[in-house]
Amino acid sequence: MIPVEDIRARAKDLLQSGKVRAVLGYRRSTAGLLAEPAFMTTADETAALVLDPTCVGNLALYLVNEKKRMKHARQSDKRPLGIVAKGCDSRAITVLLQENHIRRDEVIVLGVSCETGGMIDTRKLNKALRGKGATSAHFEGEGGVRVSYVGGGTILPGKDVLADRCLECAKSYPLDADFFFGEKVDERPYGPRFAAVSAIAEKGSEERSAFWDAHFERCIRCYACRAVCPMCYCDECVVDSTNFIVGPTTSADEKADRVRWINRSATPSENAMYHMVRAMHLAGRCIDCGECERVCPVNIPLRLLNTMLEREALEMFQYTPGIDAEQPSLISSFRDGDPNDFVR
Amino acid sequence: MQDAAAAKHDAQEFEPKVVAFLCKWCSSAGSDLAGVSRLKYPANAVPIQVMCSGSVSPIYILSAFNKGADGVLVSGCHPGDCHYLKGNYYARRRIFLVQKLLQFIGVEPDRFRMSWVSAAEGVKYAEVITDFVNDLKALGPQTKLKAKR
Ligand code: SF4
Ligand code: SF4
Repeated sequence: MIPVEDIRARAKDLLQSGKVRAVLGYRRSTAGLLAEPAFMTTADETAALVLDPTCVGNLALYLVNEKKRMKHARQSDKRPLGIVAKGCDSRAITVLLQENHIRRDEVIVLGVSCETGGMIDTRKLNKALRGKGATSAHFEGEGGVRVSYVGGGTILPGKDVLADRCLECAKSYPLDADFFFGEKVDERPYGPRFAAVSAIAEKGSEERSAFWDAHFERCIRCYACRAVCPMCYCDECVVDSTNFIVGPTTSADEKADRVRWINRSATPSENAMYHMVRAMHLAGRCIDCGECERVCPVNIPLRLLNTMLEREALEMFQYTPGIDAEQPSLISSFRDGDPNDFVR
Repeated sequence: MQDAAAAKHDAQEFEPKVVAFLCKWCSSAGSDLAGVSRLKYPANAVPIQVMCSGSVSPIYILSAFNKGADGVLVSGCHPGDCHYLKGNYYARRRIFLVQKLLQFIGVEPDRFRMSWVSAAEGVKYAEVITDFVNDLKALGPQTKLKAKR
């Protein structure tokens, strides 16, 4: 079980002693089942901190956002930020450290282990409950997830309600944490890694093509997937010409000369381009927090694109993102023994 | 008569567009050698000289498909011969991933390839292009990433 009391006490202590300027964690939200991210700046607020299977969001995103905010802040508090991090969140932090986007002394990681559990997928949960709206969800150890709804409750097996990424999770605890809560469990009672991507990869080329065409066609290019991604931290994004930086001295020529690699219109070809570019930019960086897929308003299975490259990186290059902040990144390194047969 | 009809049919045959990113030091020189040796090979490839195969960003490749290429080739020096020592090793890893990704979304594997062509291999360059164009003719036009205009 994950001892919420311990986390609260630690967060409170950090705030009281002034070691951190805020603690990033989860609290109950006023809208729906899922817990919401919370910036706790006073010791009292930590009483509201929660940790249960509804804490799906990846808090590493707020480290990135906070960095952007701090850049423009009038006065800045240089103390570190405390952050509650699950296994996947902590891997995201490690990638940010590897890329020198943040420094290790800027964060104090309160690592929590998911043990044999994980986070729920609300789409799966709604299906399992057949329309009864869940009001809370808690870990029930090996048993699964205890869910309550108005007028009742039930225990659902983890494999039916946990997010795909949690079913396939290889390390359900943080490797790099200043404080650690829970147990390190290496044996997880769920399906093999990369199950979802293998299922698609086994299909024929034409079937795959039709599958992705149907999905790409529906994308409305709201960029929610990009906005929620802790790795999409560029100030200028190559796929989106409206966020090219324009200053008072940018001339009309300069604006006109920017390369617009991809059209902003949400047509199937441009959507496919967008997703290809995004997948490539996340190769060796995506730590599979599954947030892009969760926030997509039209349910495009974006996780597949990223995990597909994650699988290649592991199998062909023995590369796992987010386990070591010192390792050279996937794309900026090579070995003599890298695959060569595909080259003519 | 029949021959004429066949010839006419041949003339209307699909002519694939190939964009070839050739590194300045080896593959470009190789293609020049194919030219000055008067080797015969299809004229479907538009060569784009880049300083190194390692400088070919995935977005160049995708963009080529987007702007209407039926096939894209990236060609560089053989491993160990890179003018910048390591560029082609980086390229190899990156291109491998691009290729897997394109295949994953259902782009035919034959539409995108990489080759090592040295400055002395004019014959090989002609072969690579000939094979590529033949394979692309069998596949027909590329539509998945091509922008409609
Ligand atoms: S992916 Fe792993 S670490 Fe992340 S929430 Fe799921 S079980 Fe926990
Ligand atoms: S969140 Fe979904 S609809 Fe929006 S841009 Fe991403 S894939 Fe497209």
